[in-house]
Amino acid sequence: MPRLAKAAAERVVSAGGDPLKLVQDFMMSAMAEAGRRFESNEYFVPELLLAARAMKNALEPIRPLLAAKSTQTAGCVVIGTVAGDLHDIGKNLVVAMLEGAGFEVLDLGVNVPPEKFIQTIKEKTPNIVAMSALLTTTMPAMKTTIDAMKQAGVRDQVRVVIGGAPITQKYADEIGADGYAGTASGAVPLAKRVMS
Amino acid sequence: MTDRQWNDLLAVLRGEVLRPLPVGFIIDCPWLPGWCGMEVADYLSSETLWFEANRKAIETFPEAWFLPGFWSEFGMCTEPSAFGARCVFPRNEFPFAEKVIASVDQIAELKTPNPRTDGLLPFMLNRLRWARPQIEELGHKIRFSVSRGPLNVATFLMGATEFLMAIRTDPEPAHRLLRVITDFLKQWHALQRETFPTIDGILMLDDIVGFMGEKDFIEFGLPYFRELYDVNVAVKFFHNDAPCAKSIKFYSEIGINLYNPGIQTSLTEMRQLSGNRLVILGNVPPRDVLAQGTPDDVRAAVKKLLAEAKDPSRLILSCGGGVPPGVTTENMRAFLEAAQL
Repeated sequence: MPRLAKAAAERVVSAGGDPLKLVQDFMMSAMAEAGRRFESNEYFVPELLLAARAMKNALEPIRPLLAAKSTQTAGCVVIGTVAGDLHDIGKNLVVAMLEGAGFEVLDLGVNVPPEKFIQTIKEKTPNIVAMSALLTTTMPAMKTTIDAMKQAGVRDQVRVVIGGAPITQKYADEIGADGYAGTASGAVPLAKRVMS
Repeated sequence: MTDRQWNDLLAVLRGEVLRPLPVGFIIDCPWLPGWCGMEVADYLSSETLWFEANRKAIETFPEAWFLPGFWSEFGMCTEPSAFGARCVFPRNEFPFAEKVIASVDQIAELKTPNPRTDGLLPFMLNRLRWARPQIEELGHKIRFSVSRGPLNVATFLMGATEFLMAIRTDPEPAHRLLRVITDFLKQWHALQRETFPTIDGILMLDDIVGFMGEKDFIEFGLPYFRELYDVNVAVKFFHNDAPCAKSIKFYSEIGINLYNPGIQTSLTEMRQLSGNRLVILGNVPPRDVLAQGTPDDVRAAVKKLLAEAKDPSRLILSCGGGVPPGVTTENMRAFLEAAQL
């Protein structure tokens, strides 16, 4: 499916289709539908991951065209799974959703120490830092990272949002995050909200 | 567990109601080292510190059933280490193992490890061999062979995203991976039973089950779990604290008779979905209540669970999942007190 999605996007682009329309009217709608089916237990994680990978692959031939049109990005998001945590499912889904919504996403991968987040903030001046954790044992690294950002003097330069299976709004408030999303599909409205 | 606790567990599995209701917890490196005031690396690397931490737990809470009991572990590194994974042990954070499979093509070359010699497994057994006389002096015995489940190990080796996509894009290699892992795990559990004849239970932990729908579980989970639980032991214990609604109906068919869930599905619904054929070890919210709540919050949550249970049979009071970091002695005591009522 991911390979087919890329081929389909290339065909549309070759035929002169509007890349922005393709992303906004079709790809984002498809991801939203995948998210809806996940919420209603029709889709599970494998389906969501395939949808996200298909989206990512389909964006490849489209991205240069969007850049050529000087289409302004919705914002820049640095994202990573926190230190000690190798889980990336949620993060990968969020990356797909954000890219589809027009955000520039810098994916730092998994097991990202606070220093790496801080270094990237200084180098890339993102609008948002998004952190993911899947385990209750690695959640504390979110607070550690936020505290490190404060110490490094970069906390006020970004909005910090968090997510992951054990994360709650209460936890986000406790550690001083600016926002929390319970699902990948909530990432885009959250990103837009914290930037407004 | 002591002989009395073990016999009581068997009674609960038979459907008998014990008064007061039993309380059990899975305790391991996320909770124990911090509770004892020691660093995780010391807990994992020092057999004496590991033993003293477990001893302190059973002496502080003698009425609790700690499962599996004196768990000799290296966190998430244990099984992946046998496959040659690079294991990372931060000083006071939880260890993790890096992937060994970078692409699906590599699965064909994967060899079945030897649990007698490979990775950290010999050290796990050595720790328990050393501790066994002291464990038995305390009146406890080694009762369970323990491992992560095959889906969990597959995601450790390959990455969760990559494995969960591979079951759709490359099902044959995914099955081959699960075959190698299952053969290894069978040998690993057999070796534990051979080394400690007091073992009469098996525990596997596998949260990846909760990420799949029913169709995927039937194809990629059920046959392998069925093989692994097809052993001649009295207690067949499974932990999955990710969603279980799509898979729990199969647990009894697999042979599982004791289940530690997460909190996504209510006790009532779990009982209904499983035909009430499982003993449930749960189901107070671990982080929000047991770790972050006050002792009164804990008592209230236990009371609420008891009210929901109505039928107290086939229930061992616990939190959903294992005991999380930060749970205080006071909250554990509050839990145990509430269970007495």
